[in-house]
Amino acid sequence: MDAKDILGLPKNSLPQEKKPRPQKDSQRKPDGISREVYALTGGLAPLMPAIDASQLKKRPPTDEKITWQWLPFTSSARKDNLQLYHWTRVVNSVPPTGDYSFAKYNKSVDVVKYTDEEYEKYLTDPMWTKEETDQLFDLCQRFDLRFIVIADRFPSSRTVEELKDRYYSVSRAMLIARAPSPGDVSGHPLVKEPYNVSQEIERKRALCMVLSQTKHQERKDAEVLAEAKRIAESRMVTRVAEESELPVPSNAAPESAERTSVPGDTVSPSSNVQLPSAAVAPSTATADNASTLASLRMLRVYLRTYALEQMVQAASSSAGLRTIKRVEQTLQELGVNLKPRVPTKLVCAEHLELRKEILTLLNLQKQLQYKEAEGSSFRDGSYADTPGTPKRLYRGGDQDRTFVPDMSFGGERVGKRDQKRKAPGRLSEAPSSPAQSKRPRKFKASDL
Amino acid sequence: MTSSSSSKKLVPDQPEISGSTTKSLRTKMIKSEDSEKRILNKKLKDVEISLPIVYGNISFWLGKKASEYQSHKWTVYVRGASNEDLGVVVKRAVFQLHSSFNNPTRVLESPPFEVSEAGWGEFEIAITLYFHSDVCDKPLNLYHHLKLYPEDESGPMSTKKPVVVESYDEVVFPEPSEGFLARVQNHPAVTLPRLPAGFTLPPPVPVEDAIRKKRGDTKDHPLSQWFMNFSEADELLQLAAARQQVQAHIAKLRRQISVVDGPHQQQLKSLSDQ
Repeated sequence: MDAKDILGLPKNSLPQEKKPRPQKDSQRKPDGISREVYALTGGLAPLMPAIDASQLKKRPPTDEKITWQWLPFTSSARKDNLQLYHWTRVVNSVPPTGDYSFAKYNKSVDVVKYTDEEYEKYLTDPMWTKEETDQLFDLCQRFDLRFIVIADRFPSSRTVEELKDRYYSVSRAMLIARAPSPGDVSGHPLVKEPYNVSQEIERKRALCMVLSQTKHQERKDAEVLAEAKRIAESRMVTRVAEESELPVPSNAAPESAERTSVPGDTVSPSSNVQLPSAAVAPSTATADNASTLASLRMLRVYLRTYALEQMVQAASSSAGLRTIKRVEQTLQELGVNLKPRVPTKLVCAEHLELRKEILTLLNLQKQLQYKEAEGSSFRDGSYADTPGTPKRLYRGGDQDRTFVPDMSFGGERVGKRDQKRKAPGRLSEAPSSPAQSKRPRKFKASDL
Repeated sequence: MTSSSSSKKLVPDQPEISGSTTKSLRTKMIKSEDSEKRILNKKLKDVEISLPIVYGNISFWLGKKASEYQSHKWTVYVRGASNEDLGVVVKRAVFQLHSSFNNPTRVLESPPFEVSEAGWGEFEIAITLYFHSDVCDKPLNLYHHLKLYPEDESGPMSTKKPVVVESYDEVVFPEPSEGFLARVQNHPAVTLPRLPAGFTLPPPVPVEDAIRKKRGDTKDHPLSQWFMNFSEADELLQLAAARQQVQAHIAKLRRQISVVDGPHQQQLKSLSDQ
């Protein structure tokens, strides 16, 4: 019949109907909502307050007459007397008074002014003449501190950082000079957080470096990071395994603190028996699952499938989302259910082991790829001499001012760069990305 | 097997065992009523009791008798995985049906825990299991999506062959009380852990409710011919095969890595010679 029908809102009859209902059964779905839609809420109260249908068509009482008229207006934001017109809402033929409603947005920066004496006394700077400083402050006023624009218009060549530094140091000096005591302005942002030129220059340089990186460089960086992560993980695993020899493993506590706290913490009277017995059977599985199991025990009752989910999560917490996906893909390829159909304790344990092995497999694949990529980059010569340190040296190149890592290795490596240029022709099978390289390389490796 | 041994190790075991054995021995010697009670309430640290269950639904299409709102007769249930009586552990089951049913909250105080209804729509049923006081004071929720229509929608619906959807799961009670363990140690519905060596269990509590047990199992259930079988062995076989495959692959990769490492060194040498 109207918009209410289209929106599926209840008819006007609802308010009367609704009254007897709630007492009867508060769980019951309200009328006017189809069962399927209501089921989506799960019987919960709606997040948004429902609109009372009777309110929808109601209008505020209209004893006022509204017209729209083309009228002149003045704005306090304008300094000239330009007369502009606009359409405006007139209630009961009384035109609106007061300032133009957008005038309040006409903000301008309060740029510090200084006198000649003040300049002589506080603001002299060997790097800046008074004329230049005056010009700067004039432009700051004109362009509301848009330093990029100011730098563009500035007659002598100054960097944005230099301009900013001059502006802020002058403003700060004036602020301090004019304050009755230094304590009065110590909370002022200009004083509290002075402009740091060198940091600003460094920040922009770093940003520029990141933004100007090529895909190739990014990929290499990612490889290095992945490798670092892998090393960190393997170290963590061994450390956790060591810690798990103790009866109360906790990853958060520092090793030394844990060691010392253990004897006191254990309630068991036979704590001296623990060390030999536990030392016999340290296992990585223990380490992975100890905290998960502890939290499961807190539940006092749980489903085996839930426990498995938690352990799968714990075991893959260190892996990335993509790796987790690949593990599941591998499971499917192997024809194994992602969730065991008969999740007995033994099945779950086997399932977890399988997942761990797949993770190992994927790690090995990655390692192999990395090793091969490393090998090929030796051919490229874009890495430094020793296999143990290429990353660091590469990083060093990154930080070079020229932003061109290849150049950073300087003259001694020119020969190798030449070699690199030749390389694509000579090693035509050398692929450009590790992903593509996977198959042919594997082939090659097994051929060897 | 390696996996089972590692899963055993998941619980920091030895110390607690020795602690509890000495304690139980001591209490045995004292033999007062008070200590008896303490035994029953004491938690067993490295033991878990699990209750294999199957939950799901069986639904029959009513065929000619189907009306718009009652096209199917269905039964949703929680049963023992091998149709044993769950009543020894589960005190009560609450099935939360769709709010459009009369009394959508169905409470079953004794096994078999099942609800039969007629309807036309599929929806999620929340099943809450409450346990006997010596088992666990916290309830457990299961969720089952009621299924009435066969997976293959194009196929003709039959009134003879029902749609059966079941899930196997195990309710795990970590650190059960000794009293609970003693009570259920000989009961077929529960899976007991292999008790650690030197562990003495309190004498089994005589099963006084033999009649109730008879009533609670679902072995002679009228629908039992449709119950599904859940074979742990099949699952294990599948996993073992997959693990073997993965392990072979790992070994191959290890070989490849060592091969890559070899020429790598040579290359380095030749580079530095240049």
